[in-house]
Amino acid sequence: MTAFENKKAENIFLPREAVILNIKETSQLEKHFTLRNADASKMIFEPGQFLEVSLFGYGEIPIGLASSPTRENSFDIVIRTVGRVSTAINQLKEGDSLYIRGPYGNGFKLEQLRSYPILVVAGGVGVCPTRSLIQYIMDRREEFKSFTLFYGTRDPSQQLFLEDLKQWRCSDKVEYYETVDKADEHWEGPVGLITELFKKTSIAAETRVIICGPPIMFKFVIYELDKIGIAHNHIFVDLERRMKCAIGKCGHCQINNKYACLDGPVFALSDISNLEEAF
Amino acid sequence: MNTYFIKESDFNNFIDNMLLQLPVIAPVLSSESVESFFSFEFLKNHDELRLDYDITILPPKKAFFPPRQVIIEFSHGKFHGTVNAKKQVLLGVHPYDIKAIDQTDFLFTENYEDINYTAYRNATTLVCSNIQTISKRAFWGSISHDVPARGHDAFLTKLTDLNEAEEEGYLFEVFNEKGHELLSFGQFLLATELQIQQAKSINESIKDKCPQQLNYSQDEMANTICRSFNNTALWDELAQDCFSCGSCNTTCPTCYCFNVEDSWNIDQQSGQRTRYWDSCMTEDFAKISSADGQSENFRKTTAARMRHRIMRKMVYLNDKLGTQACVGCGRCSIACTADIADPVNIIKRIMEEAANDSL
Amino acid sequence: MANNKAKVAFFDFASCEGCQIELTNYGDKDFLELLQHIEIVEFREAMSEKTSDPIDIACIEGSYTRQADCQRLLDIRCRAKVVISYGQCAGTAGINALKNHQADYQSFVYDRDAGMPHLDSDNAKPISSIIKVDYQVPGCPVNRYEFLDIISHLLHGKEPVIPNYPVCVECKRNETICRFLAGDHCMGMVTRAGCGAPCPADGIPCEGCRGFVDNPNQYALSKVLHEKGGLSLHRAESKSLLFNANERDNANKESEID
Repeated sequence: MTAFENKKAENIFLPREAVILNIKETSQLEKHFTLRNADASKMIFEPGQFLEVSLFGYGEIPIGLASSPTRENSFDIVIRTVGRVSTAINQLKEGDSLYIRGPYGNGFKLEQLRSYPILVVAGGVGVCPTRSLIQYIMDRREEFKSFTLFYGTRDPSQQLFLEDLKQWRCSDKVEYYETVDKADEHWEGPVGLITELFKKTSIAAETRVIICGPPIMFKFVIYELDKIGIAHNHIFVDLERRMKCAIGKCGHCQINNKYACLDGPVFALSDISNLEEAF
Repeated sequence: MNTYFIKESDFNNFIDNMLLQLPVIAPVLSSESVESFFSFEFLKNHDELRLDYDITILPPKKAFFPPRQVIIEFSHGKFHGTVNAKKQVLLGVHPYDIKAIDQTDFLFTENYEDINYTAYRNATTLVCSNIQTISKRAFWGSISHDVPARGHDAFLTKLTDLNEAEEEGYLFEVFNEKGHELLSFGQFLLATELQIQQAKSINESIKDKCPQQLNYSQDEMANTICRSFNNTALWDELAQDCFSCGSCNTTCPTCYCFNVEDSWNIDQQSGQRTRYWDSCMTEDFAKISSADGQSENFRKTTAARMRHRIMRKMVYLNDKLGTQACVGCGRCSIACTADIADPVNIIKRIMEEAANDSL
Repeated sequence: MANNKAKVAFFDFASCEGCQIELTNYGDKDFLELLQHIEIVEFREAMSEKTSDPIDIACIEGSYTRQADCQRLLDIRCRAKVVISYGQCAGTAGINALKNHQADYQSFVYDRDAGMPHLDSDNAKPISSIIKVDYQVPGCPVNRYEFLDIISHLLHGKEPVIPNYPVCVECKRNETICRFLAGDHCMGMVTRAGCGAPCPADGIPCEGCRGFVDNPNQYALSKVLHEKGGLSLHRAESKSLLFNANERDNANKESEID
């Protein structure tokens, strides 16, 4: 077991610099950053993978990549102001630097999705890590069968990627449905829980489903999918945990015997449905 | 490799010569109050060395994985790692702790190697020593006993209960070049077959002398504990007096969880990223913050955390390690103020409950 | 540059002012270095100037104990961007809250003068019961290095990190011998860490001066203090009153006595 090899390993905790090319305010709480590696190298990753993003003095947080790897010169992350690090990052300006490690984790297994009908169910900020997959599918639409996207937020002000939404609403590449739990005076779309959207279209039993959102949403969405008869190994969930080290050591993201950072954050539902701590 | 003998009268010289050349971390008396307490410290001279210690408060892993470790220093937008390992000797480590170090060696290298650990580990010559005094809560005789202690570079056994004609001293086995290097510090003789046999019998016979015993196989325990996962009443009962204080984790030789925090120096420009030993028994360990000041705790109750700890020690890592992630040192049992952390009591209770259920 | 420094003021209510004194214990070098980054505009222990101007950080020491405190507190809140309850008296009413549970404290403390009108006061309450408090520096007294850390966080616009794990974690990291193993008692199991656990390291039990962690197991505390710590049942039950009278499960019940 022991016998260290006599190689000079890199210090896995040292981040590298990434420069902020563009910042968009996507909602009151979230900002959408477009980044480029400071050494101009390409960011190679799979949709669903995440980065450890840090600012010295503030700390480090795991953030899902929000753009498709098919877009070569830059990559996107969305930061929601929730804690110390995210608050500090959301005060940065274009041209400032961030420090990143990764990509880490298991993303969406594209080979298990290709040539099937796809349904993405995104709740709240859950749209960020799935945006990477959504963009990928849109860019290579011919590799997949039908593509349906459900997006639900608490209220209209919580909606992210407003430009994308405009595009998705009228695109013939995606069958897009959205809802809000509570409307405001400007909202003209549907009101209700995300599960209501299942009534608007028919989902085939062979569909591969990706779910990402708050823990409470999972149970209800899975209930609907069970009614359709979708096998649990065809359902993929993206779990949010405290992935502190991202390399399967620090223990914070452990779900029973799995590490969200190594074994996930994207899991096949069949692999975790027996894990009590998963939901 | 080779087996040597050093006379009792030459032993102090061996230690002092070694100290002239290398830093040596070894068990010393930490304090004497109601009883004696020991800790691994940088040795100043041979007088301090207490190879007759029963147990140390913290396990020796601190020599490569300290409770607080600066991993990055930053200043004015620049940053660098801090790894700066120097050759050292960690001497007097009991076999159960050697097993634990073997586990952390594996865990810090699998998938991604963490040189903040391995650099210090590689720079260390690890010398095991036989157990002369048995800690009152030890149960290493009946847990993770299927795997041998390994990963150490040399093994020191004090030969006792000898005939009058025999010379008092230590048997010194060296397993590799690192262990071999230590020979230059002392007057070592080739060990006789009799001395080798005596050491063997000393190290064999002590295995049955632990004050506490678990009479189950590893698989029996793992299967039954795993099946008890949803017995909430049982876990509630076991965790009733738990303070979530983390003492069981922070004294455990196989625990390796950590947290990382940044801080600034007084100049407000430079600072450091520090990692700290963390404990899955503390309340906020699995907590994440979401928006609006809300948070989600994935192991909210003490019972859920207690269960996670026992699962990690007895079930989750078994396949990976080939043994339980518990070596039976009994430190958690001693450290727990409410005296509810003792794995022996917990496992016995779970096994009993399962036996009753199946009646 | 001076204009860019954060303006920090100290105010005192019912307290011994020991927490402010603690700040003067830094020693010249550190204190002067700190003054590169903050401007102290009111600090009774070290200067005579006072201010009625807006303040960036107001550090309030001491508990609320009388009606007149309200207006003063509201005035500070209006002027301050950030309000810190500085020390345990301000944080939980700390040791002052002991009187909340003793009807005879006035005659006990003041003897013949007990009836004097200026000695009349309300129950001791944390500052946060009167005004919004942004952050708390726990401790009796505060740990000056923790305070420095908190100030440095605030200067960078970062929420200070105050642990929600107990003192036991720090004792273990320090490899301090547990007071219980040394035949003593301790309240470190329920007390919020962050102090670095200096008392047990000096062979003194933790008295809980930093207040409880979020969810202290008070049932087990009494049990362990009695069974392992050798305290009488009554003493074990009342031990945590010293600094946590307002924090205890039965605090409300007891305060109904007076």
